[in-house]
Amino acid sequence: MVPSSHFNHIRDNTDLKLELKIPELNSQFARNSHNIPPYAQNKPPKPPNLALKISMAAKTTEAPSLSFPRDIFAALSPSPFLLAHLSPQTPSTPSIRPNGRAPSEFRKPTIHRGSLTHCSGSAVVRLGDTAVVCGVRGEILLAADIPNPPSAPPQPAATDASDADADDEDDSAELSQLSLLVPNIELATGSTPTHLPGSPPSTLAQSLTARLRALLLSTRLIRARDLRILHRAPPPPDAAATPDVPPTEEAKAYWTLYIDTLFISLDGNAFDAAWAAVVVALRDTRLPRAWWDDDVEAILCSDVPAEARALRLRGLPVAASFAVFAPGGGVGDSAFRDGQEERAWVLSDPDAFEEALCPEVVTVTVDCTGGERRVRRIEKSGGSTVGRELMKGVVQRAEERWKDWLEVFGVGNS
Amino acid sequence: MTDRRRINAPSGGTSTPIFARTVKDPDSLHTLRPTRARQPDELRKIFLKTGLTPSASGSAYLEIPPADPPTTPSPPASLIPPRSSLKLACAVHGPKPLPRSAPFSPHLILTTTVKFAPFAARARRGYIRDASERDLGVHLETALRGVVIGERWPKSGVEVVVTVLEAEEDVWWGDEFTAGLGRTGGWGLMTVLAGCVTVASAAIADAGIDCVDLVSGGVAAIVRNPDAKGKGRSEGEAETKTEGPYTVLDPCPAEHQEIVAGCVVGYLPGRDEITALWMKGEAGEFAEQVVDRAVQASIATMTVLKEAVKEAAELKFQGSAGGDKGIKSLGVSNDVEMVG
Repeated sequence: MVPSSHFNHIRDNTDLKLELKIPELNSQFARNSHNIPPYAQNKPPKPPNLALKISMAAKTTEAPSLSFPRDIFAALSPSPFLLAHLSPQTPSTPSIRPNGRAPSEFRKPTIHRGSLTHCSGSAVVRLGDTAVVCGVRGEILLAADIPNPPSAPPQPAATDASDADADDEDDSAELSQLSLLVPNIELATGSTPTHLPGSPPSTLAQSLTARLRALLLSTRLIRARDLRILHRAPPPPDAAATPDVPPTEEAKAYWTLYIDTLFISLDGNAFDAAWAAVVVALRDTRLPRAWWDDDVEAILCSDVPAEARALRLRGLPVAASFAVFAPGGGVGDSAFRDGQEERAWVLSDPDAFEEALCPEVVTVTVDCTGGERRVRRIEKSGGSTVGRELMKGVVQRAEERWKDWLEVFGVGNS
Repeated sequence: MTDRRRINAPSGGTSTPIFARTVKDPDSLHTLRPTRARQPDELRKIFLKTGLTPSASGSAYLEIPPADPPTTPSPPASLIPPRSSLKLACAVHGPKPLPRSAPFSPHLILTTTVKFAPFAARARRGYIRDASERDLGVHLETALRGVVIGERWPKSGVEVVVTVLEAEEDVWWGDEFTAGLGRTGGWGLMTVLAGCVTVASAAIADAGIDCVDLVSGGVAAIVRNPDAKGKGRSEGEAETKTEGPYTVLDPCPAEHQEIVAGCVVGYLPGRDEITALWMKGEAGEFAEQVVDRAVQASIATMTVLKEAVKEAAELKFQGSAGGDKGIKSLGVSNDVEMVG
């Protein structure tokens, strides 16, 4: 059941009313509305004379009609509610979603960074009523502690000069084999009534975490060389004999990044918000300078802020999610299917109410850094409405969304 | 140990970074030790706001920033944060019907959960609730159960979830390197509990659940600073207080070298009642005094709590003529209206 509070803050579209002219349906609705537990609306119980009023109305000769306030309409028959909003009443008026946005309109993001004391980098991202906190913490994994080192030990570049080469270096294998990135998403923080604490992470939380990790690795956002802690072994005593051999550098340890993402509030489109929070937090991350100390035989870090360095991320991928509302495709009420032309709406940045009604979702991750559009990932499931043609428009919208994010990132930078 | 439902750390295990300064030059650390710049009966500033989680019935957020030294805007001199702040987010879900399988209950069933975020403290915490978190949850439930009028909600349950984004520390971090073990810990949990009580009370009020009063948490402690005389405590209050142990309100454990005893109360000022009392340490003859001081602290917190709740209520019933009238007209507008 969608809580009514969900709609209270939304722009009040009072002009939209459902008028049912069929008495049978009326009595059905009366039954239905009587069945709503008072808790669902989180307000004092319904007046008990509701059924009475309706039965009295049904006795009159002309067919009575019944109109509900929008929140009750939305709770009772969500799909027609959304359809009534989206299908324009006159051809000239644009269709508008129940939350007051146009179908292709995203929610405006706000970000806040560096608010957590005990993290190397942190971010709070708010997307309408969805709010996420992400904290990145660096911890040290000693190379000696890796139980089964990768068979072919990675050869770190000898010099720092080859920065351009590092762009092409394929290091995602190193990151994933050593599991240097540990992203986790927690929904059971009371962020939504459907994910309450006390049980293991829900399927949604697990799939979000898996998607996040896959995207982190496939976009190759983080360079493995930023995470290596190199150590130049002191030359052996007989090294003077062969001065031509350059001293070798070995990775004595690695930074492991714990990327913990907590939802404070969830109102749809969890992945976009979580991904943005992770990217902002990673951009904010400053790892202290670390070195192997032969005296204490441990990795030590410098606490001088000027010596800490940021991660050099590759590009700036942004995820944009879309939900496809296709009432004709077996989703909507059968009563509405007849006479209704086959129509579908691609809704950008769906909220929780829309997500519940749209089985088909598309997530496009694009990166337009350097003026060139690159699609990093397309995830699509639940239906077949978005075909080749529609997908072009979806990617176009994702590109515009990237520009929105860039603006927000830029503001946060200064 | 491995949790198959989450992404796990490398199997070799990782360690928190060790800063060279703590190993090479532990004697210089005490210059970083924060000192209490507040009066003994002065609380830190509290930020409290309701309505943070729109998807919940009620929610609140509480933050106690560290008492800021005047040099806050300048970049910090060290990557080691001098002290922690307290950040709590609370969401209340319900009241909602109990599942069919649950036995009949004539009153509201309150479920409280306190969970620390993995990044809440200097040492990373796990995702699975540990004993101290469960303990805090029980304490919180005790504090709230006496406030909610449960008889008005039979066969219902309400979930109170507090997420600790950042927790108060138990000791000053440098003591882990300079002083040995053997100190009683857990002082930070007292401030966390007091914060939990306050934030949960605000969230319950935001959810519109009937209560006899607002409840606020307060902490007081008996502290002793053995070598505080010589070190920069030039404030007037220091002269008389540094000699034996003395009582402070809202102690920040990092600022005190030794805490002798501490006390948290959940207090209802309107009825002059205490719903929860948690005392720790060797208070001796000062036990009653420390409870009184904790009550004072919670009265001071209550002013912030009242403001936050009032502000939220005004926002909620904006545009209506008055408080009572506004509630009434809201109820009417929610009724099903008949047309034709």
